[in-house]
Amino acid sequence: MELLAALTVGGLAGIGMWMLLDRNLIRVVIGIAILGNAINLGVLTAGRMAGDVAAFVTATSTPDHAANPLPQALVLTAIVIGFGLFVFSLAVLKRIREVHDITTTDVVSAVTEEPAPDLREGSEVGQRADPAAAPDKEGGR
Amino acid sequence: MLTAVFAIALAAVVAPLMTPKLDDRAGWILALAPLGAFIWFVSCIPVIARGDVLVASIAWVPALGVEVALRLDGLSLLFSLLITGIGALIVLYAGAYLSDHHHLGRFYAFLLLFMMAMLGLVLADDMIAMFVFWELTSVASYLLITFQHERAVSRRAGLQALLITAGGGLALLAGLVLLALAGGAWQFSAIDRAAVAAHPLLGAIMVLVLIGCFTKSAQIPFHLWLPNAMNAPTPVSAYLHSATMVKAGVYLMARLNPTLSADPAWGVTLVSVGAATALVGAVLAIRQTDLKRLLAYTTVTVLGQLTMLIGTNTTYGLQAFVLYLLAHSLYKGALFMAVGAVDHSTGTREISKLGGLIRTMPLTGAAVGLAAFSNAGLPPFFGFIAKEFKYAGLIEMGSMGWAVTVVMILTNALLLAAAGLVFIRTFLGRPGNFPRVPHEVSVPMWLGPMALALGGFALGAWHHWPETWLVNAAVQVVAPGAVDVNLYLWGGITPAVIASLLTVSLGVLFYGQRHRVRHYIARLRLFWNVSGDLIWDRLLKRVFTVAGVLASAFQHGSLRLHLALLGLITAAVAAIALYRVGGLSLAEAPLSPLTPAGTIGCLLALAGAGAAAVMRGRLALVAALGASGLGLALVFLGANAPDVAITQLMVESLTVVFLAYVLRDMPLIPGVGARRHSMRMFHGVVAALFGLAVAAALIAAVTLPLPGNIAEWYIANSYPGGKGGNVVNVILVDFRAFDTLGEIVVVALAALSAATLLGGGSGALSARGEPEFGSVLLRQGVRPLAALLLLVSLVLLWRGHNLPGGGFIGGLVAAVGFILLVLTFGNRLARELMWVPPAFIVGVGLACAVGSGIIGLLLGYEYLKGLWILPLGLPLGTPLLFDIGVFLTVFGSMLHMLQRLAGKGG
Repeated sequence: MELLAALTVGGLAGIGMWMLLDRNLIRVVIGIAILGNAINLGVLTAGRMAGDVAAFVTATSTPDHAANPLPQALVLTAIVIGFGLFVFSLAVLKRIREVHDITTTDVVSAVTEEPAPDLREGSEVGQRADPAAAPDKEGGR
Repeated sequence: MLTAVFAIALAAVVAPLMTPKLDDRAGWILALAPLGAFIWFVSCIPVIARGDVLVASIAWVPALGVEVALRLDGLSLLFSLLITGIGALIVLYAGAYLSDHHHLGRFYAFLLLFMMAMLGLVLADDMIAMFVFWELTSVASYLLITFQHERAVSRRAGLQALLITAGGGLALLAGLVLLALAGGAWQFSAIDRAAVAAHPLLGAIMVLVLIGCFTKSAQIPFHLWLPNAMNAPTPVSAYLHSATMVKAGVYLMARLNPTLSADPAWGVTLVSVGAATALVGAVLAIRQTDLKRLLAYTTVTVLGQLTMLIGTNTTYGLQAFVLYLLAHSLYKGALFMAVGAVDHSTGTREISKLGGLIRTMPLTGAAVGLAAFSNAGLPPFFGFIAKEFKYAGLIEMGSMGWAVTVVMILTNALLLAAAGLVFIRTFLGRPGNFPRVPHEVSVPMWLGPMALALGGFALGAWHHWPETWLVNAAVQVVAPGAVDVNLYLWGGITPAVIASLLTVSLGVLFYGQRHRVRHYIARLRLFWNVSGDLIWDRLLKRVFTVAGVLASAFQHGSLRLHLALLGLITAAVAAIALYRVGGLSLAEAPLSPLTPAGTIGCLLALAGAGAAAVMRGRLALVAALGASGLGLALVFLGANAPDVAITQLMVESLTVVFLAYVLRDMPLIPGVGARRHSMRMFHGVVAALFGLAVAAALIAAVTLPLPGNIAEWYIANSYPGGKGGNVVNVILVDFRAFDTLGEIVVVALAALSAATLLGGGSGALSARGEPEFGSVLLRQGVRPLAALLLLVSLVLLWRGHNLPGGGFIGGLVAAVGFILLVLTFGNRLARELMWVPPAFIVGVGLACAVGSGIIGLLLGYEYLKGLWILPLGLPLGTPLLFDIGVFLTVFGSMLHMLQRLAGKGG
């Protein structure tokens, strides 16, 4: 089982890397998710899949041949954190689309070269000169 | 000793705070720190003169045996007296010189910082501590040279000084480390000299240490920076660049002289480099028309002579070294300060515009006169004794000494002419053509030069005093063996006296014929002065160019190239590691059998991801990713990891919803992979290699037996220690709760920052927020379903400690239930249902988790200790509270992101 799992991890990692190298940011974001899945499965596989039963005990008895609980605990939180990262990258993708009107990697639009809102000529600090380019200040409520 | 260093450091800290309030009075108060240290060092003179040493130390890096060990011996004492004594006068002087400068406080701070570092440098017995102080003096010097940073010249000079001295410092560090390894000790006082002398790396040690010393003490060809450093305010030039810092290199050479002089190359190098530096410095000095630059070049000369005198290693030579060191610090400090006073008073330092100042500035003039006589080496001044001993020491050396003596006679004659320029040309004769009407300067400004000049006179006239108390102890430290010290002004007609007479007559001749001498030198030496700085500028430009080329090769701005490089390197590292463990062998691998769920799951995960890799339809991508995730959940289930499987399932559902929300506003994906075919092939190869490397590394890991028995420990202790049957959950909320706390903080932060980027807010919510599905049937059905899910989530949370479930899963299930409501009824209803904002829930959740740990702390246990009570048979404990915190954080985070996403709607 470990062998198949390891091959799956390798396959997912390769596919994840392939998508990360894509020129389209949408596919890059999906690549992040797939690479995250690969790593989660990899951690679990590294803890072996030898257990016959899940790691549950009672007050009186412990199973003889239980699955390794430690990588499970690690992966459980990693999945949730990975989801957080995924949504964050989605948010970045959405923002890039709104500000730059592109979804391509390695391209810098003219907006990037503009000075920050508080450095623009004639605009006071913190004042929004251009709603499309200025970052959304309301966000972190 | 430590107190002295700390007192000056303290003065450096308070200086910027008190100066604005006290104006020029601050100088008088701040000068108390170096003055107090000076008095303490004076009180140490009898002890040191007896041949004793004082030590003090504090542990610094005990693990490496590095400590700040301070050791006061004759050489250190001499330097300490100069640093603190001149330092006190300089602080006073600076207050008057820069009285109208708005950053005077900052200047004091830099100056005192330097003083502290310099004092530490000469006192440190530990090499590492010495090196740190050494570099600190370079940094302080940089800050002081660039003090008038609005001038480009100052900035350039400061950078030049810093690069040269700090570059030399690197060589010095290497040299010191080698020396410590060769000598078997990190203390100067504990080095095994015989071992160093016999060490095969002695040559390398010598070269590296000397590079450090030569750069610091401005020896050829590193002398460039010193004249340029005269762009600093005059107190800095007087203190750092004549009396103290530039002598740090000389100090270290003297300190290491007994250790390294076993090699004859040491003496030859020091004498030849020193003599060359002295001659070049003197020739360049006589050419200058700016008094300050003139003094700077004479400083270069003196530094060369000092280096040379260490190299002689003769009785007279070493005595001359100590005498000259003392004499030069006194008269050069005085001359610099006086020149600063002249500049301050008349507004110019150009020799051609000065003259006859003795009438308006009698006190400064008197000080300059005394100092210049000492400088010129005329009796009965201290400088005279120094010069006599210098010749005697050189002549003692034999044939090489005679050759050097001739060079020195020439050099000293030029110095004498330079001293004449400073005193006679400036203060005597016809009044000059001043830009300002000259006046005598205030007390702090003439006090320093006068005190130092009188000191130079007194030490020469009553030379038994320095002989008994100072010179003897210092010479014994510098000399490899014992030396008999005996100072005299007149020792009969010796070769040294004849050399001295020659010097004086030649010097007078040079002064008289100074225009012709200058004219001659100008023809001969013009290229030297110019080309040195030119070479430096070109070198710096090349360095920047090379750095630019190198940096742009790596910082090319292409994310994809970075990633590809990362992938290739990962693959290469894995390949090397595999090669080192001897490849893969599956023969004895303790593998478990294939399970149906696991096999199907793996295939599904691969198929889904593979489909995503080649497809470009947005909906197809979402579906493929979902399928891949579901496959993974199946694998987790097959691996007896129900908690993980449920989490994966919930997250996968949320992923699909979030992805669909964002992708619906995205443009079509034009194609798969890079545009160019060759690039696509390259990316494919990189991805394949990366995947292979990961798979191979993992297989190599799992085919070996699992080391250790952490898993067994957790299973055995889950119930006795954590009061829970679900080992995974007990690990999360009890055994490794601190990890989990960190993880939910990450989730919360990711949610908050993603929500910020996603935009939307209360304003946007009212604008849009229509239901996504309009079906009546669905609406009727979803309400109870959502309620049920929320209920289930609470049950999962409660039972999670013993059965599959827990805070993470509960929070995710609750979030899924809520999403159903949002999808069906729109965001507005969802908002009405939520009577608190999701970010608030996140905060409450984090507070619960953090607070559950504090309970243990309050009851005297460690943080996050699991504590249980059983009211009415219900097991309540801090891990449960912690799990509730996890539940609320995860639930709130998901909701927060969703609300923003759904609210704005693109």
